[in-house]
Amino acid sequence: MTSFLVVCKKELYDHLGSKRFLLLFALILGLSFFSAYSAADSVRNQGTAVFLDIFTSSSSFVYIMFMFGPLIGLALGFDAINRERNYGSLSVLLSQPMFRDSIINGKFLAGVSALSLVAVSTVGMMTGIAIPLLGFGPTPDQIVRIVFFTLITILYLSVWLAIGILFSTITKKITTSMIASVSTWFVSAMLMTTIAMILANLIIPTYSTYGGYGMSRTGDDITVYLGDQVLTGDEANDFMDRLEQQNDLQKTLCMISPSLLYQDSALSILSNNGWYSTGVVYYDFAPPEYDMFVNWPHMTTLAAVLIACFALSYIIFLRQEIRVGN
Amino acid sequence: MSEPMIKTNQLTKHYGEIKAVDQLDLTVNEGEVVGFLGPNGSGKTTTLLMLMGLSLPTSGTASVGGYSVIEQSKNVRQIAAMLPEGAGYYDDLTARQNLRYIGELNEIPRDELETRIDELFDMVSLKKWADTKVGKFSRGMKQRLGIMEVLVKKPKIAFFDEPTLGLDPKATKELRDLLIRLNKDYNLTIMMSSHLLYEIQQTCQRVLIIRKGQLVVSDSIANLSNHFDGKDRTSIEFELTKVSSDLIQKLKDIDGVTSVDKESKNKLFVQTNIDKSQEISEAITKSGSTILLMKPKEHSLEEIFLNYYEDD
Repeated sequence: MTSFLVVCKKELYDHLGSKRFLLLFALILGLSFFSAYSAADSVRNQGTAVFLDIFTSSSSFVYIMFMFGPLIGLALGFDAINRERNYGSLSVLLSQPMFRDSIINGKFLAGVSALSLVAVSTVGMMTGIAIPLLGFGPTPDQIVRIVFFTLITILYLSVWLAIGILFSTITKKITTSMIASVSTWFVSAMLMTTIAMILANLIIPTYSTYGGYGMSRTGDDITVYLGDQVLTGDEANDFMDRLEQQNDLQKTLCMISPSLLYQDSALSILSNNGWYSTGVVYYDFAPPEYDMFVNWPHMTTLAAVLIACFALSYIIFLRQEIRVGN
Repeated sequence: MSEPMIKTNQLTKHYGEIKAVDQLDLTVNEGEVVGFLGPNGSGKTTTLLMLMGLSLPTSGTASVGGYSVIEQSKNVRQIAAMLPEGAGYYDDLTARQNLRYIGELNEIPRDELETRIDELFDMVSLKKWADTKVGKFSRGMKQRLGIMEVLVKKPKIAFFDEPTLGLDPKATKELRDLLIRLNKDYNLTIMMSSHLLYEIQQTCQRVLIIRKGQLVVSDSIANLSNHFDGKDRTSIEFELTKVSSDLIQKLKDIDGVTSVDKESKNKLFVQTNIDKSQEISEAITKSGSTILLMKPKEHSLEEIFLNYYEDD
């Protein structure tokens, strides 16, 4: 077995036996279990029940993953490197006949494997619980969507693992990397929408932040009401253009957040949003490949964040000097 | 003559403006036990890390077992093992699991590895703790585990960085005896750094003293002791049947004798600036005393070491 796989095997063994992993895994499994019951109940009461709704209804599985998924990803990564450094086991490890990248690669693969287990088992459990409760299962098309959603969930969790590993590589203290990791999660999941809105309004001001606005349309003529002020003609068109630009900027800024990217992609894949093809609007599920196409920018951005974080950790780790007590 | 086990040529390492190791030239032969001495910050650990291929030299070259530490660092780590200062272990794994991990990283076949691990537990008297989690180990037990991790890959050379740090006297002696035994039984080349000069004196055949990243001494402790007094001075230790004040005065009166010290009831240390051993012997005999023992005075490694650092 190559040293990379030896490191991976040992790390995976560590993860699966660690209290923090088991605790978070149990939390996610428990929440998913209750979410499945609650969602199945809700779906049964709807006239047009769709199996995929069990993932997206109130207190949904998507939201559970959106909120708690990052914690489990970060928990596996935030002390991956600096723990070895602080405990003095890094120099022992590096004294073995292997190249340094085997360590970080092995740790990353072990983390991704553990997170895949989390994603597959929770999605599988949800599906398994929902089928007998609903009395029907997913259609083949929906199975493809569930698989696709599971893969996106693994990608999302892996992004947080890579962020955790990055912090563990650049910081010496475990507490520092933990605080940095949790802060990043908090900003990404809780504050990013607000931050994006404030930044977008600073960059493209529309003067409607405090008072809001009203709009009426007569033919092609638009009238905008901003408190006591009434805009018409070019002024109103200009205002609406700026508002659209501001919204676009806000959406773009939100794409920095892995959590919002995941939420958008997951809901888009699992929900019936209608779709458009060759001049016709269909109010039904799009073919899975259509949703993949629509979500491609989100997924590539998530993949890019993952690659960037891991590549940065990799380069920094390979260049770091080994000193006394490492 | 076979190729040296370690050879460095103008080996240099800078950390920014600081020269940790400065054009170091040293050689260690196969089967030697070498003490590597120097005060804190003199470059010992940096040198050991470079020799293991864990830290890239700023300039110069080094080879271990014929492999370049720069281009063939993986090969170096196949034949060399290191117990770094403050080495850490996986506390949530048992001692056996820790060793298995290291063995697997060295690609040792499973059956052979298990046999080797059992042998090592016997060797370091840790067998009954083999399946105990390392988190419950004392400092001395962890150090013995470290020795096992070094030996599990059957290295040709082992580097020990402060191996006795934090150990009690009993554990220190056990470690010393183990290293001597490993050297004798397996012809293991050992290079160890330690602040405990007595341990080095008891364990090592040769010492390398490093000062500000440069090698200032490379010799056996006996030779260093002989030359300790310098070109102009020699010290002789005498053990006599009796030592009188009259004899001491007579010896002091000999031209070339610089000092005479009565160490104990029958023991004298005579220091001269030229070889006066014959005249001294005659004076002793004439005084009615008999020489039981006459030998050059052996200086402690501490004395020798401090001599090189008296200006620091």
